[in-house]
Formats: sequence, C-alpha cells, structure tokens
Amino acid sequence: MLYANFWRRNLGFAKLAIASNIEYRLNFLVDALVQPCLSSVVEVVLWISIFAGAGMTLIGGFPVESYISYALWATFMGRISSSWMYEFRMIEEIDSGSINSLIVRPMSFYEYYLSQLMGYKFITTAVSLVVPLVLFQIFNLPFHLDRLPICLILVFYYLILVHSLSFIVASLAFYLNRAHSFTAAKNLGLWLLSGELFPLDLLPEPFKTLFSYLPFSSGVYVPTAYITGRIGQEAVIQGFISVTGGLIVANLIGWALWKQAMKNYSGTGA
Amino acid sequence: MNYVIETKDLGRSYETYKKPEGLMNSIKGFWNRQTIRKSALKGVNLQIRPGQIVGLVGANGAGKTTLLKILSGLIMPTEGSAHVLGTVPSERDYHFLSRISILLGQKNQLWWDISPIDSYALLAKIYNLDPDKARARVYELAKKLQCDHVLETQLRRLSLGERMKMEIIGALLHEPEVMFLDEPTIGLDIVAQSTIREFLADYVKNKGPTIILTSHYMDDIAKLADQLLLISHGEIVYNGTVNAFSQKASQVQTLQFRLDKNLEKAIPLKSGQQIEAGHREYQVQVVNEEVPWLIAELTKESQLQDLKLIEADFEDVIRQFLEKESRVR
Amino acid sequence: MSQQSTLKKYASLYYAFFRASLQADLEYRANFTLRIVTDVFWYAAQIFTFEVLYRHTKFIGHWNLDQTRVFLGILFVVDAIYMILLHDNLERFSDKVRKGDLDLLLVKPVRSQFMISFQRVGTANFANLIMAVAWLWWSLSRLPDFNLIKLLWLLIVIPNGFMFLYAFRFCFACTAVIFTRSENLQFIWYNIYKLGTRPDSIYAPWMKYILMTVVPVALIASVPARVIIDEPSWPLMIWSFLLGPTMIYGTTLFWKFCLKHYSSASS
Repeated sequence: MLYANFWRRNLGFAKLAIASNIEYRLNFLVDALVQPCLSSVVEVVLWISIFAGAGMTLIGGFPVESYISYALWATFMGRISSSWMYEFRMIEEIDSGSINSLIVRPMSFYEYYLSQLMGYKFITTAVSLVVPLVLFQIFNLPFHLDRLPICLILVFYYLILVHSLSFIVASLAFYLNRAHSFTAAKNLGLWLLSGELFPLDLLPEPFKTLFSYLPFSSGVYVPTAYITGRIGQEAVIQGFISVTGGLIVANLIGWALWKQAMKNYSGTGA
Repeated sequence: MNYVIETKDLGRSYETYKKPEGLMNSIKGFWNRQTIRKSALKGVNLQIRPGQIVGLVGANGAGKTTLLKILSGLIMPTEGSAHVLGTVPSERDYHFLSRISILLGQKNQLWWDISPIDSYALLAKIYNLDPDKARARVYELAKKLQCDHVLETQLRRLSLGERMKMEIIGALLHEPEVMFLDEPTIGLDIVAQSTIREFLADYVKNKGPTIILTSHYMDDIAKLADQLLLISHGEIVYNGTVNAFSQKASQVQTLQFRLDKNLEKAIPLKSGQQIEAGHREYQVQVVNEEVPWLIAELTKESQLQDLKLIEADFEDVIRQFLEKESRVR
Repeated sequence: MSQQSTLKKYASLYYAFFRASLQADLEYRANFTLRIVTDVFWYAAQIFTFEVLYRHTKFIGHWNLDQTRVFLGILFVVDAIYMILLHDNLERFSDKVRKGDLDLLLVKPVRSQFMISFQRVGTANFANLIMAVAWLWWSLSRLPDFNLIKLLWLLIVIPNGFMFLYAFRFCFACTAVIFTRSENLQFIWYNIYKLGTRPDSIYAPWMKYILMTVVPVALIASVPARVIIDEPSWPLMIWSFLLGPTMIYGTTLFWKFCLKHYSSASS
C-alpha cells in the first residue's frame, strides 16, 4: 500500500516534468534536437581536424571513424548524464524559500526532484536519440546497436548518482548563499572525469585505471566506449558496481547534510 | 489529548552576522565574522482545542509566520516544545503531514506550468487520495469559489485572485484537520477578498477544522476567528476570545466636539491625560462611563455646538494596541 | 561635456562598480572561492585534452606541444579578462531583461551599453588572471626563439583578441532584448566559442577561412598566438586590427537596433 503510493506519486512527478517541458514547444525542440545536432557537428569537425592536422591515420590504435563515433556518442551521453536545470531549480527552491510548500507535503524533496529529472531525461533522450542514429546511418559509422539498451540503462542508473550529487549541492544552499557556483565547478569536474572530452583510454597510467574505476566514467566513457567497441562487457559490469559505490557514499553525505540543515532551517522567505 | 495544538515555552532564535560599512570591513569580514543572535519568538504557550479558529495578529516581523512555520513542521524550534495533533511537527511524519495544510499567501504552491486541475491530480497522488473523489471535490470547491471556469488554464495565465482561489482549493483538497493560513487574502481586491472570506466561513461551519489564520485585514479576523492571539516582538501579548477583545475595545470611545468659545481650564481625564485649555475644537479618547460626566463638565461654562461619538472599530483598536506595544520597547 | 571629463566620469563610475562588486563578492566566501576553482577546472580540461592528444602525436596542425601551450596561455588570459570584465554582466543579461531590470538601467544618465556590459566586476577571477599569466609566462619561456620584443606584441594582440570576444558575446547576449527567452541562442554561442578554443591550424583551409571572416572566433586566441609563435603575417594582422574596432562599433549599432525593438518586460 505504502509502496503503491510511492510509485504512484513518483510517476506523477515524472509526468509533471514531461508535461511542463513540452509545454514550451520551441524550447523543448531546441533542447532535444537542435542543441544535440549542433554539438555533434562541432565535435565531429574538431576530431576530423585533429586527425587531418596530425597527419596520422591511427591515434592510440584507433582510426578516425572510431573517434567520430566516440565523439558523437559521447556528446549524446554527455548531454543525458549531466544535470543543470533541475539542480538550479533545487537550489532556487531553497534560496527563495519556495521549498516550504514542498516539505510540508507527505513526500521527500529527494524523490520529488529525482523523479522529475528522470521524466525530463526520459523524454529528451527519446527524442534526441534520433540525432546519433541518423548521423550514424548517413556516415555509415561503426557501432553496436545491440549494445545501446544496456548503455542507456547504465546512464540512467548513473543519473541517480548525478541527482544525489545535485542533492548534496542543493543541501549546501541551506548553509551558503549562491550555492549554484558549486554546480558549475562540480559539473566541470564531472565533465573532465566522465570522458566526454576524449576517450579515457588515451590517458597514461595510473590515471587511465583510476578514472575508469571512478563511478563518473559510467556517465560517458563506459557506455560510449562499449557501444563503439573500444571496451568489453566486463567494463560495463564494473560501471554498475562503481556507480553503486558512488551512490552509497553520495547519499550518506547528502543525508547527513540535509538532516543537519533541516535542524537549523529558518524557513526564509514569507 | 484535548488540545490539537499545544506549545510550551516555544521559542526560536536566528544567527546572523553583521557587517560594518566600507570596503576594508568587507575584506576583514572575508576572514572573520561577528555573529549575533536574534530571537524571533520566545516563551509562547498555546493550547488550542479542536475546531477553534484562531486569528493571529501582529506587525510585520512580529513572529507570526515563524510561529506558523514551527507548527507546520517547516522549521525547528530552538527552545521549548510544540505538539500538533499529538506529534512533534518538525519530525515531519508523513501521516502528520497528510492531516495538515499550510497556505502561504505570497507563495505559489501549485505548479506554474500546468493547469490547476493537473496540479490537483498530482496532489491527489501525493496525499494518496482517490482520484475520482478528489476530482469531484475540486469541482465542488471551485464552484463555491466561483472559479470553475479556469481550472483547465495554466496557473501562470491566471490573475492573482484566481490563483489564490486555486491555492485555497489545493490546501483543502485532502481535508486537513489543521490548517495554517498565512495572509490568505493579501493583495486581492475587495470582491475577491469577501468571496474567499465567505467561502472559508462556510467551510469552517461544515467541516470544523482547526485553523490558525494571520491577516493584515482585520475583517478577515473579525469574520472568521473566535480566538485572538496578538503577537508583538515574538511574544504573545493577548490571548483570548475575539468577543472579549471587542468589548474591551468598545469601552474606549472617541469624542469629537466643538464649543462656542475657548475652553477656559483643563479637564483631567481618568486615563491620566487631560483636555487642555485654550481651544474650541477637540477630539479626545474617553472611557465609556466617563462620557456623561465629561459632557456635564464641558457644559458648565460653555455651550456645546457640536458633539459626535465615534465608536472605535476592531481594526483601530488592534492598531492602537499594537502601536502601544511597540512603543513600550 | 568635454571628452576628458566624460572619460573621467566613466573611469570613476567604473571604479565605483569595482568597489561595489568587490564588496558584494567578498560577502559570499564559498562562492568567491568556487568561482576561482571552476575556472581552474576549465583550464585543466583544456590542458588535459591537448596533453593527452600530444602523447599520441608530435604535431597537431603544424604546432607542437610547446606552441600549443602558448596558444592555451593566450586563450586563458583573454578568457580571464573576459571573466573579470564581462561574464557576470552578459550571462545575466536575459534575466535582467525578463525581470525588468533593464528598464532601470535605461533611465540612468549613462550610456546603457556601458552600464549593461560593465556593471559587475568578477573580482574573484583576478586570481584566475594571475594563474593564466603564469601559465603563459611558463609556456613562453619554453619556446626556443622567444624574445622580449615578442612580449610587447602581446600588449597589442591580447586586447585585440578580447575585443572580438566582447563583440561576439555582447551581440549574442543582446538578442535577449528582442526575444526575451534567448537561452538557446546563448547555447549556439558556446558552440561557436568552442571552435575558437582550438588552434585554428587544425582546421581545414575552408573552415579556417570561415573562422577568420564570417564568424571570426579564430581572432580571439589563434591569431594572437600566431604572432608570437610564427613570424607575424602582416596581412593577417592588419585584417585583425581593422576588424576589431569595426566590430566594436558594430556592437553599438546593434545595441541601438535592439533597443528599438525592446518592449518593456515587466508589464
């Protein structure tokens, strides 16, 4: 009964996110289609240029097509696995005091935003998946379509970790003004660690091993490398394990921060 | 337990830091800061029975909202204790939260980008209500508030008054046993104000919830509340029935009169003040039983040309009361 | 008012902006530190990318690692100046329009373009400027043919690169005045800027041509870097020095155009 209620309301939150995002049609289309297209084109241009400029056919043992595939999927995964909008909203909610109307309801702030993030990511992923699929058709690039589902599952699992980090940053908003500067710093850090910039296997040891064992590689590097055939299944399994570890650590921190914050919360705003 | 709301020596203080003026002080403040504690609420003892409607009145910053926030579990008290519906609010137990409701007049609690009817469907899920019953209830409430025609319009397209009505429906949807209404009519025009007021009065009659209500409009309080709490500088300065307060209020009246010539000598009043000599027109405040005596005094030496008795209304009295309270400190 | 006293007025106004910003920035300690850290991460990302790529190849374009480091140094310095002078102002541009703050700026007896571009100073980012200069200095010192005359060139080419960055960013931000919601246009800017954060020598000739003329982001850092690294190419420099002031003049025209289409948002 209690669980049924839990799922019912969280499905409601996810639907809320979908409804309020497609409410602004133009914005949604730009977000889900135009921006991924643009980023993809820029990435492809950069990698082609780098190969042309280097005058080489192989970098790190992989040919240019492999890097273009990587760049395309990395752009796609990178967009799914980062959260700006909902993290800003969480912080804004706390800064402005509108969080008051959420915490007097029988639900948690954490689940409310997690489900919304998932709903939003679900709808944008579903739409923007068209971009890499079409581009791969056009340029006839190598990738494993059968590996796509498990990659998406890993990315969405990783999104729970992303949300937990957002929750930590949002909790900090109780202690600090302008916690959103954390968002920028944190997301840039994740950008570095996730492998969106370049395949992590180009790194020298020990960074290569370290970075790929960190849970953050599951956001971009692991799914992208798996789908483009740079790594095997065992790395994906390792990804699920790392993310689980990350989830435990992040949620312990988040929970402690939140609890302490609630104790001192002064209910700002009217 | 007999009381729905019970507090003991409830208090809340805040920590802030002060920054003296100037650039150098800003740079110093980067490294170390002086903190100061401010108390927003202290020594509040309340006992409220089921079905009571309590009007909470006080100046801006007197601690009204802080009290409501503690009682609804939004913030924790720093001193004393509070019990609402037999539980400690700040534990924010889901069962407790399902039985209360808080309406903050200046804030939107419904979702901005979707229509109210969709918001209510979501609320029904949050509060675990039967969707069909909730829907029927929404229409019933909306009809009473004369706003059923905007239920399917996105919230952001509604006027302030319509939005407030929507918020009220949202706050009542799960039939809370205890409601905290913070400025439910703020910023609205007179028509919308009275619609909401009548609606609330009607609702109270039918469902009998316990309500704590704050408002800047004394009409709200006079019409709805049976118990009055006056709060000043974080402390309760009056706690009694509205009727008792009104009676006390009606004991003081304002007397306005004009004499045919200047008053020759001052007349002392019971309140310790006196009517000074040397003028023809006066406006003075007197206690009821003093009036006949005063008229007699005045007519001893001169003719009364004009005499008006202005009865103080509820709003004036509260204002005077609060003014006096804040002058004492 | 004479030219001189106008200049004086704007200088003292800018000093007031600076003071107020510093005071406001110092108020939020964590924020102050984090802004520095954020940019350090950005530097790290750029450096990382090239350090990693150069592990696998000796040349990208015709530049080696040391020369690319100089390019990054110039990019960082220009970017740090941008962060100090402009970022806060232009990032919040569309917010200002939406909330109606622009109205308040327009009624002040000061050039509105000046107000909207320079009101906030990102004082925290002075720390980043120091780091950027240090990186540039270090990278220059590793060039075999480096001499002090080339350093003088920097004093000209860096402000010139900054002019382009300002002109671009300002025009993209301005669109907020017309469209109110212009986040998506801002996104287009980030992608174009991304093209400018790579040495232009990596691009195919036609692409390079586009980045020099149609969307001249290559002039932000690539052209200044070429002056230092390669022999100064006169046609390129004349082009750069002509285009910079022209684009700045273009921003004033564009700003006037936008204001003509401005309908106050707060109503």
